[in-house]
Amino acid sequence: MRESHVVTSWPSVPVEIVRAAGLYPLIIRGAARPTPAADVLLEPGIFPSRLRQLVEDALTGRLAHAARVVIPRTSDADYKCFLYLREFVRRGVTTAFAPVVLFDLLQSRGPDVPAYDLARVHALLGELSSVSGRTPTADDLRGEISRANTARAVARRLAELRRPVPRVSGAEVLPLLAAFWEMEPDRYVETATEAARRITARPRLAGPRVLLAGAPVDGHSLHEAIESHGAVVVAEVGPWGSGAAGDDVRIDDDPVAALADKYRADSIGARTPVDSLRRLLQTMLDEVDAVVVSLPPDDAVFGWDCPALRDVLQARRLPHVCLREDPYETPTPADHAALDAMVTAASRMQEARHG
Amino acid sequence: MADRQLEATRAASAFQKQWFADLRRRVFDDRQPYALIQADVPFELFDLVDIPAVSNQWWAAIVAAKRQAPNFLDAMDADGLHRDLCRYCSLGYASTRYAAAGDAPWGGLPTPRLLCARLTCDCIHRVFELWADRFGAELFEIDHPGAGDLPPRWWDLGRYRWRELVEPHRLAFVVSTLERLVSRLEAISGRAFDRDALRQRLELVNQQEEVFDAVRGLIATAPECPVRMTEQITNVMATQWVRGSQWALAHARAFHDEVKRRVDDGVAACPGERARLMWIGAGLWHDTGFYTAFEPSHRAVFVWSMYLAFGPDGYIRYGLDDPMAALASRTASFNEYLHNPPWAAEWSVHQARQHRIDGALVLRPRSMKPAATGRLFIERALEDAGIPVLPIEADVVDARGWDADGARASVRSFLETRVLR
Repeated sequence: MRESHVVTSWPSVPVEIVRAAGLYPLIIRGAARPTPAADVLLEPGIFPSRLRQLVEDALTGRLAHAARVVIPRTSDADYKCFLYLREFVRRGVTTAFAPVVLFDLLQSRGPDVPAYDLARVHALLGELSSVSGRTPTADDLRGEISRANTARAVARRLAELRRPVPRVSGAEVLPLLAAFWEMEPDRYVETATEAARRITARPRLAGPRVLLAGAPVDGHSLHEAIESHGAVVVAEVGPWGSGAAGDDVRIDDDPVAALADKYRADSIGARTPVDSLRRLLQTMLDEVDAVVVSLPPDDAVFGWDCPALRDVLQARRLPHVCLREDPYETPTPADHAALDAMVTAASRMQEARHG
Repeated sequence: MADRQLEATRAASAFQKQWFADLRRRVFDDRQPYALIQADVPFELFDLVDIPAVSNQWWAAIVAAKRQAPNFLDAMDADGLHRDLCRYCSLGYASTRYAAAGDAPWGGLPTPRLLCARLTCDCIHRVFELWADRFGAELFEIDHPGAGDLPPRWWDLGRYRWRELVEPHRLAFVVSTLERLVSRLEAISGRAFDRDALRQRLELVNQQEEVFDAVRGLIATAPECPVRMTEQITNVMATQWVRGSQWALAHARAFHDEVKRRVDDGVAACPGERARLMWIGAGLWHDTGFYTAFEPSHRAVFVWSMYLAFGPDGYIRYGLDDPMAALASRTASFNEYLHNPPWAAEWSVHQARQHRIDGALVLRPRSMKPAATGRLFIERALEDAGIPVLPIEADVVDARGWDADGARASVRSFLETRVLR
């Protein structure tokens, strides 16, 4: 951890702002690593693995030297995590901890929301500039947006190699796509371009193509579990894989407004309006043979979409399975059996379609 | 429901039933609009343009109290909605979506003209979208800007210095959203919204909550608790849903006077009281008998719940020169008051001390994730203040996993080993 790191809990804090202020984004993700200090202070079944990891890091001094810890308003659990962290500091539970900031970007559709969000992005920019001592101009911001857009274009090209028939496994490509958020854009362009060149030369992968839906996953363990049954994960609903790049940020007179609009519209999480998610899902279903819905124990949101999703999948005759375990836990034998049955059914249908 | 000791309780129950019958008549016979809203939405705005509003949480409590929740919740499970999803805020939806599965109280909810929710927790957006879809009705969302600054003793600041309680950008956002809501309500009702009437209504709300404050003071200071917690809740809830109305103020006063008479006459809810208990969390609507179960055996009385105490501390706003801003300041931070650190823990300890509490039972809700947060802070703060705590794991509307005998045995053991030592 360096003093120039801005630690966040989800990729819904504009990385362009962080970089323009002369800092580096670091996003804490879920892991199988135990979190004994956090487990004492966090209620079970509410906070996803990534937030438990973040709190563990906070309580054990690993975030002491970060420039700021910025918690976005991506979910209620994130917001509660922000309030908890403040309280841990106030009560002296942890002392070696960087200042924590709430980035309250709202995602609802009210006409008052864009102005509110714009002010929040300005506030974040001011906060980070005060830390680094570097106040970026509009041109600096446009430059960062342009660099990130170039990286987005490469990430999109990489994602294209998963469709309509994949040349790369989901477990392999997810880290490459996810690196968009933290790697310096120029270096990302270089790395991802080289990866894309190598992947393009590979043969196409056999096996049913799987969409990973439900609560967005931020790691590739679940991909590995699914792919161990002979399927290939070709898309995810979430910001780490297929959704990492998204559309470009517009470059115009007001770069801060452009970033506020982009992150409000494109950030995928628990507060993303359901119709946006449904539209996104519909576009993905045309090129998959099966769907895995991940609903970990902390899910309070995505489970509500299940009956409607099930109806859509049944109408399309797409085999699907719903997994209730934490994606960082080893899948249960029952989960493996369900995955196996899904892959078998999808393979049969794939064969029937292609003779 | 436990046996009732107050005449006011009977009047409150009768009022609610009649109110709902009138609502159905207005909707079905007179084709008038009504709104279905979350409990933390400002009801006053609806009432001032003559659109009656039904609280989702009130309806869920009624469904659970009528022992219909398991039927609707079984139907939710069967439809693939996993059991970790919030049941309290969705039971009303289930009674609509799976209407054939049970027998909804009093003929069930008619189709509302509008649904309205504050987007506090993540699930409520989904539940209200599904519900609005099912009814084919409009949904108005009030987004919930997050608090970055939570000054101490919110219950003091809220009365006179409420502008300091909510950061200016949050207050401005909520005001502007409420103004939009008013425009929408005016369009639906065809009535003009009167700002002077809002000020007058909020003044009446203040008066009503001052009466509840006085009742709270009576309960806190009387030698023995004069009114059971369950009856406090019935009287407060019936009143709060129509707060600031003439009936509400009159009923609050009648409730106060009856409680005061009991105090003056030395009448206790449980004569020979030995232990004063507080209940932290939403009410256990499917087993309200739980709250009186320890009176005969241990003379242990539930004295406090948030329902009465939150009225005066959460609602009173003095200085109504800008009534919409005052209303917004109340609306903006409901969840932070009740569930989040540091506010919820600080208030719980303050209330426990004021009420001479001997032991606290803290709800660990099974499926309500937002309400489940912050409880460890509350439990620790109470224990640090010398008040023994017993966590109770339960769902407030879902009786299916509730071990009534086991929970009562835990409380008896808690009373014997930690409270009445």
